[in-house]
Amino acid sequence: MSRKMILRVPKFQEPKRMEKSEAQRLWLLLKDAIVEVQHMNASTLSFEELYRSSYSLVIAKRGDILYTGLEEVNNHHTKNLLDKIAQAVDERFLIELNSQWQQYKLQQIMIHDILMYLDRMYVKEPQLKVFDLGMFKWKQNVLIHSQINDRLVRMLLGLIHMERNGEVIDGALMKSLIQMYVDVSLKEKETYKQEFEERFLLATSHFYKSESNLFITNNSCGAYLKKVEIRLIEEEARIKQYLDESTGPKLIKACEDELIANHMQTMIEMETGCRTMIQNDRFNELKLMYRLFQRVENGLVHLKNEFAGYVRNEGHKIVNQPENLKDPNALITSLIEIRNRFEKTLSQSFANNRDFINSVNTAFESFLNENDKLSESLALFIDKKLRGGFKDSNDQEIDVIMNKVILLFRFLSDKDVFKKFYEHYLAKRLLSGRSFSEDLERTMISKFKQECGNQFTSKMEGMFTDMRLSKDALDGFKNYLQTSVEMGKLPKIDMSVRVLTQGFWPTFPPHSCTLPPLLSQYCDLFTKYYCHAHTGRRIIWQTNIGTAEVTFRLPKKTHVLALSTYQMLIMLLFNDAEKLSLKQMAAGTSISFMDIQRSVKPLYSGKYKVLKRTPAVEKSKELSENDIFELNLNLKCKLHRIKFAATSQTDSEPERQHTRQRVDEDRKIEIDAAIVRIMKSRKALIHNDLIVECTKQLSSRFVPQTSMIKKRIENLIEREYLERFPDDRRRYRYLA
Amino acid sequence: LKNLFQNQKQEENHFDFEIICQQNQKAKQFQFKTHKSILSTRSQYFKSLFNSKMKEYQENKLILKDFSNSILSSILNYLYSGKIEINSENAVEILMFSSKYLIDELIEVSSNFIKQN
Repeated sequence: MSRKMILRVPKFQEPKRMEKSEAQRLWLLLKDAIVEVQHMNASTLSFEELYRSSYSLVIAKRGDILYTGLEEVNNHHTKNLLDKIAQAVDERFLIELNSQWQQYKLQQIMIHDILMYLDRMYVKEPQLKVFDLGMFKWKQNVLIHSQINDRLVRMLLGLIHMERNGEVIDGALMKSLIQMYVDVSLKEKETYKQEFEERFLLATSHFYKSESNLFITNNSCGAYLKKVEIRLIEEEARIKQYLDESTGPKLIKACEDELIANHMQTMIEMETGCRTMIQNDRFNELKLMYRLFQRVENGLVHLKNEFAGYVRNEGHKIVNQPENLKDPNALITSLIEIRNRFEKTLSQSFANNRDFINSVNTAFESFLNENDKLSESLALFIDKKLRGGFKDSNDQEIDVIMNKVILLFRFLSDKDVFKKFYEHYLAKRLLSGRSFSEDLERTMISKFKQECGNQFTSKMEGMFTDMRLSKDALDGFKNYLQTSVEMGKLPKIDMSVRVLTQGFWPTFPPHSCTLPPLLSQYCDLFTKYYCHAHTGRRIIWQTNIGTAEVTFRLPKKTHVLALSTYQMLIMLLFNDAEKLSLKQMAAGTSISFMDIQRSVKPLYSGKYKVLKRTPAVEKSKELSENDIFELNLNLKCKLHRIKFAATSQTDSEPERQHTRQRVDEDRKIEIDAAIVRIMKSRKALIHNDLIVECTKQLSSRFVPQTSMIKKRIENLIEREYLERFPDDRRRYRYLA
Repeated sequence: LKNLFQNQKQEENHFDFEIICQQNQKAKQFQFKTHKSILSTRSQYFKSLFNSKMKEYQENKLILKDFSNSILSSILNYLYSGKIEINSENAVEILMFSSKYLIDELIEVSSNFIKQN
C-alpha cells in the first residue's frame, strides 16, 4: 500500500460537460464547413480543425448537437437539390440527376471523414451512420420523391427497351443511376429491389413474352434457338454493364422462363423443331437446344423423352421390317447403324448426359426384346462375320464391330437363348472348318466372358479344347494305322475324325445311317484305337454332320464333289443303280426321309445339278417318296471341285424349334436350382415373394415366365423339395 | 514491409508532407518530415485528410496543437516502424492521441499498460 503511483496524469482530467455556448460555437463552425463542402468549396478549410471540433464536441458529450444538426443540414440541402433536379427536362433530367448525385456522394464521403470521430464513437444503433444518414436523406427527399422516382424508373426502363431493340445508350450513366438505388438502400438493397428491380423484371418478362411469340411463329426452330442464345448473352452482358449483380439470377430466370420454358412444347413439336432435328441429325441445333433446355426446370426431361421416343420408334421399325426379319445380317447391321447414329447424337448434341444414355438404352432394351428373333439373328450375324465376313476389316474395325455386338447382346433379356444359338453356330463353324480365324473366335468369346463370366463361355472354350485334342487323337490314329496289322488288309482312305465331349457341344439329334463297309471298318478301327488310349470312354458316331469328297466320273470329265456324309451315301448308291426313288434311297442308306429330302435338294436344284428328276417336274414341287432321280451325265461345269451346301445356311424351322426346346429344358433346370437355392436360405416364403425373388436371380440370364415358375414349383412339390403350409396354401416350406 | 518504412524515413529525399507540432503560440515549433503514402496506409485519419483535398492537402502541412513533440515523435515512429515504447511517462498521452485519431492498436496497447500499472 505504501508503494507510490508513479504514473503521471498531466492534463488528463475527466472532460467536463462543455458550456452550451461553446458547443454551439463549434457546431456553427462545423455547419459552415459542411455547407462549404456542399457547395464544393472545401479547399480552404482545415481538416484537422474540423476533425478536432467534432472530436471535442463528442468527448464533451455534445455529440447530439452535432448529429441532429447534421441531419437538418442534409435535409435542407437535399430538398434544395430536388427542386433543381426536377426542373430539368427530357434527357437533361438524367444527366442533372446523375451529376448532382455523384457530387452528393463525394460530399457525403468528405463529411463522413471530417466527422469520423462522431461516426465511430457517438453514433449507436438504431441511429444511422453518418454516411448512411446522408444516403437516407437523398433517398427520402430526392430519389423516392414523387417527382423523381416514377419518372426516373420509366426513363431507365425506356432506355433499356431501346437498347434491346438495338439502339446504343449511355451505359455508364445507366450504371451510375441504377447503382444509386443500391447505394441508398440501407439493408439488403431493399430500395433497389422495391423501386427498380421489380419493375425492371416485369418489363423484361413483358418484352420477351411478346418478342418470343412473334419470333417463333415467323421463324424456324433453329433460328429461334440462336436468337434465344444471343438474347441470353446480351442480358448477361447487361448485368455486368449496369445492373446490380444480385439481379443476375432473377433476370436470367425471367428470360429463360419467357424464351425457353414457355416455348418448350412448341420447340419440340413445331415442324422445324426437335423431332425434325433428331430425324435429320442436326447435331449443332440439337446441341444448342440441349444447352438452352438445360437451363430451365424439367427442360431436359422433355428433350430426353422426345429423343428416347424417337429411338424406340426407329428401333421398332427396324426389328419389324419384313426384309430384316428374313435377313439377320441386314437386321443386325441396321441396328448397329442406328446405335452408331444415336451414339453420335448423344455425344455431339447431348454431352453424353447419363440420363439420356440410360433412356436410349432402355429404348434399345424394349425394342430388341420385342420379338424373339433377335438372339438368333445376332448369333447368325456373328457367324457370318466369323466365317469370313471379317476378311476385309482391320483389327480396329473388327474390335468396333465386336463391341457393338456385345452392346446389343447386353440388351437381350434372354441371354440363354442367344448362348444356345451361338454355341450351335460355333459348333457348326468348327466342325465344318469354316471358321475364318481361331484368334478372332477367341477374341469374341473373351468378350462374352468379360460380360457374363466364366460360366457363360465354358462350353465354348471346351469346344476349342476338343478341336485341339481331336487333332492329336487323329495324328495318333494315323500312326496306329501304320503299325497295325489289320492295315495291310484294307485299302487306304483318308478319314478324319473329331472327338467331341458330350456336354460342350450342342446335342445334335441322333440319326443313324448305314455306312459303306470300308468306312464302317475304319470307324471301328478308330473306336478301338481311341477306347484303348482313353479307357472308360464311349464313342457315339455323329455321321450326320460329317463331310466327304466323292470323285464323280462323267464320260468326258471328272469332278470332285464336296458333299455331306449323307449326300455321299446317296451318291454311292448310284454306283449300283441307274435310277432310284427317294424311298429306295432311304432304304439303302437308313437315313430318315426328311434328311434324304434335305440332302437331295441341293444336288438336283442347285447351280450344278448332278442329279436329275425323272421325269422332269416343276422345280417348286414338293418331293414325294416316289420321285425318281438319276445321275445327270450332261453336267456342264468348268470347276473341277464342286461344293454343295449340306443344308441351307440358316437353320430350318425344326432345328430352330429344337434349339428352343433345349433352351426351355435348360431353363427348367435353372429355375429349379434358383427356387431350391432361395427356399433353402429362406425356409418359408409366400408365393409372390418367391416368384419375384426367382425372377430377380435369373434376370441376368433370361426373363422367366411366371407360368413356368409356377409349373416348376408344382413339380418341386411333387418331388418333395417343397410343401405347402396346410393352413395357408400360398406359403411354401422348404423340405430338407 | 516495416523495414521498407524505416528505410523510407531515413531516406532524406521524397518527403512530401510536413507535420508541425506547436502546443501554443509561444512554444517552439517542431517539424517532422513525412511521407503521405506511409501515413495514409497506416492511418484512416491521414487517409481521409489527404482524400479531403482540404487545406492540409493543399499546403502539404499539418499543424497539431494538442500533443507534445516527444509524443508525436513516438507516434510517427510507430506509424513508420510498427514499434513503440510505452512507459509510465508517456502512456497516458499516447492513449489520448490514439483515442483522438482512432489508432485502434495503440489504444489497446496503451490502455493495457495503464491498467497493469
